Amino acid sequence: MFNLPESVDKPDFSLGNILTGLKVQSRVIYALILRDAQTRYGRHQLGFLWLFIEPLFFVLMFILFKVYMREKDTGGMHSAYFMTSGLVPFLLFRQLMQNMGKCIDNSRQLLAFPQVTTFDVLLATIIIEFAATLFVFVSLVVGISLLDVPPNIEDPLMLLIGIFLLGITGAGVGLIFGSLSPLYPSLKTITNPLLGRPLFITSGIFFSAEMLPAGLREYALYNPLLHMVEIVRSAFFIEFESRYIDWHYACLFALGLFLCGLLCHQVFRNEVMKRG
Amino acid sequence: MIRLENVSKSYRTNSGTNHVLRNVNIEFPDSRSIGILGLNGTGKSTLIRILGKAEQPDSGRIFCDTRVSWPLGYSGGFQNNLTARENCKFVARIYGESPKYVEEFTCEFAELGEYFDMPMRFYSAGMRARFAFAVSFACNFECYLVDEALETGDARYKEKFRLAFEERRNGCSVILVSHNESTIRRTCDSAAVLENGELTLYDNLKEAFQVYKFLQSRAA
Repeated sequence: MFNLPESVDKPDFSLGNILTGLKVQSRVIYALILRDAQTRYGRHQLGFLWLFIEPLFFVLMFILFKVYMREKDTGGMHSAYFMTSGLVPFLLFRQLMQNMGKCIDNSRQLLAFPQVTTFDVLLATIIIEFAATLFVFVSLVVGISLLDVPPNIEDPLMLLIGIFLLGITGAGVGLIFGSLSPLYPSLKTITNPLLGRPLFITSGIFFSAEMLPAGLREYALYNPLLHMVEIVRSAFFIEFESRYIDWHYACLFALGLFLCGLLCHQVFRNEVMKRG
Repeated sequence: MIRLENVSKSYRTNSGTNHVLRNVNIEFPDSRSIGILGLNGTGKSTLIRILGKAEQPDSGRIFCDTRVSWPLGYSGGFQNNLTARENCKFVARIYGESPKYVEEFTCEFAELGEYFDMPMRFYSAGMRARFAFAVSFACNFECYLVDEALETGDARYKEKFRLAFEERRNGCSVILVSHNESTIRRTCDSAAVLENGELTLYDNLKEAFQVYKFLQSRAA
């Protein structure tokens, strides 16, 4: 009964096999994305509007504040665009930081399907958050240009890179916290007050590094997110070019945290599954 | 055929390690439907999950050259906040089937009525099982892994499934975990007994049930 064919002993790494694997994986990710879009934004129209509420609120508050201060712009930049270009990419960071741990919890049921892995779930979440961010970003820019002046976007590619860096940093932090939270449940409750809120204030959403007093700036620049926000703004505005961007520092942090997050996930995955 | 090669799986419990499978070597041929017998807590469900690759064994390898379903059970596989229709489409997509066909087939076969468009958290265990069977039937698997789910649901519907399985008998096989002797007698033509980490396949049901009864009497 047990005469085994020899091919069983070695895994099959032939090109055909890899291609089939990729095909299955992209099918799974596509299905996950559609499912996610449905649960999160599709069920009622409000879910979709919710995407816009926070950015709109802060952009409006910022403009009101500027009007109150009798300032026309922000360091030479259009205030509404200034706020949009800082806030929306930052929200991607925060969103991914908060969702990476949760998305596995939410899809636990689906892991009963052998072709669905936690990796697919993570990737689908990252893709959908990126898409949502780009959608909000473009909508706000179109909205502002209809109401006021059209923007002069300097370098769309660099803009995307900046947003990408913020995204994977968020994903990395989210994965680290998400992987450790089954072991230390209290981590869940402190992520936002400990990281989200301070970073919201210090990452240059409401200011650019240029505007800070020199003494404060020195410390603020330790925050890698500030560099990333500066990258986004420098790419967005022709009239603005930050002198304080350290590309190495920003990229190293983003990639380092992301890899670290993936590693944590890999190591603690079984633990997460068991505790349910 | 699904073949386990030196598969081991254990869980740590408060009182020590529970070896669910110890170096199990077994082959489930395509042509037969097999029931899995075992006392409570011996790890039948874990075995089914390992066969369906929903769970990794600690060591060993699973070799499989048929299209095997996911483990059909009371729970698992479906997203509670989605409707049955949406879950159908998801399953169809990940198995590369036509979403429209799977949706129509399931809708008709599961007989869920208006519940088909309600989130699955409102479903009873029986409705869930019905839905799981209908979707898996739509996907045309060659081997169905069933974890007790045949016990739920009313008699009429059970009969419907039995007939549907019967119809496909030539094309597909079933690996079934059940406590119900009559379910196994009706559906399977051989049975395996899981006991103390060892899985033994018996060619005829009679022998398997004798061993199972002996285990039961010893436990009692």
